[in-house]
Amino acid sequence: MSLSANTKTTQQCSHTRRLGFITALVIGLTALHLLYGARSIPIGTLAQALFHYNPHDFDHRVLISLRLPRVLAMLLAGSCLAIAGYLLQITLRNRLSDPHLLGLNAGASLAVVLVTAFPIAPLFSMVRPLVASVGAALLFSLVLVIASAGKKGLQPLKLIFCGIAFSALAGAITSTILILDEDTLDQLRFWLIGDGAGANLHTVLISLPFAGAGLVLSLLIMPQLSAMSLGDAMAKGLGASVQKIRFMSLLAAALLTGSAVSAVGPIGFIGLISAALWRGIHSRPSAYSLALVAITGAAILMAADMAAISLFAPKELPTGALTGLVGAPVFLWIFVRRMR
Amino acid sequence: MSSSALVALRSGQYSIRIHLTSVLTIGVLLLFLLGLIYFALITGSETIATSSILAYLHIEPAQPSLAYQYHTLILDAFRAPRITLAVLCGAMLACSGAVMQSLTRNGLADPSLLGVREGAALCVVALILAAPGVALAWRPVVGMLGGLASGVFVLLLARGSSSIRFVMIGISLSWFLSALMMVLLAATDTKDLQTVLIWLAGNLQGATWQSVQLVAILFTIAIIALLISAPSADIEALGDALAISLGVRRKWVNIIRFSVAIFLVAGSVSVAGSIGFVGLIAPHLARFLPNYSSRYQLISTSLIGAILVLGADTLGRSAFAPVELPTGIVIAVIGAPTLIILLWTRRNQL
Repeated sequence: MSLSANTKTTQQCSHTRRLGFITALVIGLTALHLLYGARSIPIGTLAQALFHYNPHDFDHRVLISLRLPRVLAMLLAGSCLAIAGYLLQITLRNRLSDPHLLGLNAGASLAVVLVTAFPIAPLFSMVRPLVASVGAALLFSLVLVIASAGKKGLQPLKLIFCGIAFSALAGAITSTILILDEDTLDQLRFWLIGDGAGANLHTVLISLPFAGAGLVLSLLIMPQLSAMSLGDAMAKGLGASVQKIRFMSLLAAALLTGSAVSAVGPIGFIGLISAALWRGIHSRPSAYSLALVAITGAAILMAADMAAISLFAPKELPTGALTGLVGAPVFLWIFVRRMR
Repeated sequence: MSSSALVALRSGQYSIRIHLTSVLTIGVLLLFLLGLIYFALITGSETIATSSILAYLHIEPAQPSLAYQYHTLILDAFRAPRITLAVLCGAMLACSGAVMQSLTRNGLADPSLLGVREGAALCVVALILAAPGVALAWRPVVGMLGGLASGVFVLLLARGSSSIRFVMIGISLSWFLSALMMVLLAATDTKDLQTVLIWLAGNLQGATWQSVQLVAILFTIAIIALLISAPSADIEALGDALAISLGVRRKWVNIIRFSVAIFLVAGSVSVAGSIGFVGLIAPHLARFLPNYSSRYQLISTSLIGAILVLGADTLGRSAFAPVELPTGIVIAVIGAPTLIILLWTRRNQL
């Protein structure tokens, strides 16, 4: 009794330490991202710009209208993509899952490009995250249907292949539309390669409610997901309705991916990397592990964005390329370790 | 496909046994390809009359009219090299896909999924950016080195070629290399970027007789090597133990076929850029046709590949007339659904 209580407190202590560490890292990275760049800005100016904004001061304008939206977009997208990846990994019981690899990103991009090229709703700019979420959900359900057909059910290799095939299809259709319709290409060029330079406060703000909905949904189903990690039979015995929870979880993943993609464009591997960094979070999903993964995702995307800006200084690299550069070896590492 | 369909052709002391159905299949594919070539020759922004084409091929006597000279110029400078290149690249990609699939005994092995194509493309891009003035003939050489390096890397890391490991490692390597390519393109000066981007999208627009020559030599050597080694590969498909006891030098046959497959991909990538899916779907389409042995299958696979790439290229340049879609994109629009259907039909085996 006393032993279990003791381990519990140790565990909580290590939980707090992990969370505290990663939160401090995000705050530090955010401050660095805000202050350094093509023009470094002293830290006193940041406080001034935040609390006594002076529109005639050049530094203030750089901070508030250029860097702040970008930083906010990266924070939002990083945490959303990480949670989406984590939800997919728990629900599919496959640690190689990521919104980018399973076609959610490609579906979201295709939906956004389609609606930009053929504007059906006058309020499109307000519902762009919703459109992206619907696209992500539709393409991902196709991937799931094809991948889970057959005697053996959902195999990791089949899932990845279906993700690749459907992503390629959606990507080819996206490119075709963009080649034929130059106006759309001009509007979406930077967004489409996952470049944070195009982020503005408006896109971040309209993404927030959808991201919030996804987050609330995933927090609501966390206890049931935790029960499901013990196995479907056990989860049923504990009174969770497995099919419903699975559906809700994938819905939350689509909402989160949609709002992230709508804010910064398709960026891959964030969910894969941030969940792979922490040991044991797949065996016992909880609100704590969700928070840990989300903050880690924000930190990784922030670091990738800083590297994208500063590696080849006057030139800016697409952020999505850098996450791919790190993410592909991580994918390999997870796979090889699991095969052993 | 019983052996009774084999027909022996004799001429003096030489005789050859042919499989009638397979030969007929190949003939039909060839006729279809020829028809497609004819269609591709006449369509375009300037419709060219059949008589001009016949005269260009020296079948009919040349006409002295100005329109004829104009048409000959279009044919010789633009359409004929482009069509030849499309046919050759399609055949090369399809052949390499077929060989990769039989070597790895994995129906989903494709040069574009195994990192070979990305490796070749990355090296060619680096060459174009580092030394834009270097002769065109160096591109396939450098591309082959890159493709070979990534192929060997995947093989060594996977310790064998017939497992899921091999495919997964190949996929992640191709992701890594394409991310590296994006970084490389964003980090370098924009002066030569246009050349690289046009080439990269899988475009046959810049076809010249020089590149056709290069690829033709490569393809001829490769197809001869593959046809010679095909019977050994047939035996190998029966299992390792049986192949060894029947006297197949497994190691050498595999090394030769693997490197030939990589050379084919690298050659096609270095002149036509990244065209995906052909290597994956052409062998599967060929499996629906009657093929007696893997020699026949190799030939019909390459014909199907040629038809696919030429069809996609012609569609890409004529569907939305003034705007031209890159061949790689048209192939992806056709190829991705085929891959999905394939995954569906093989859902119990994977």
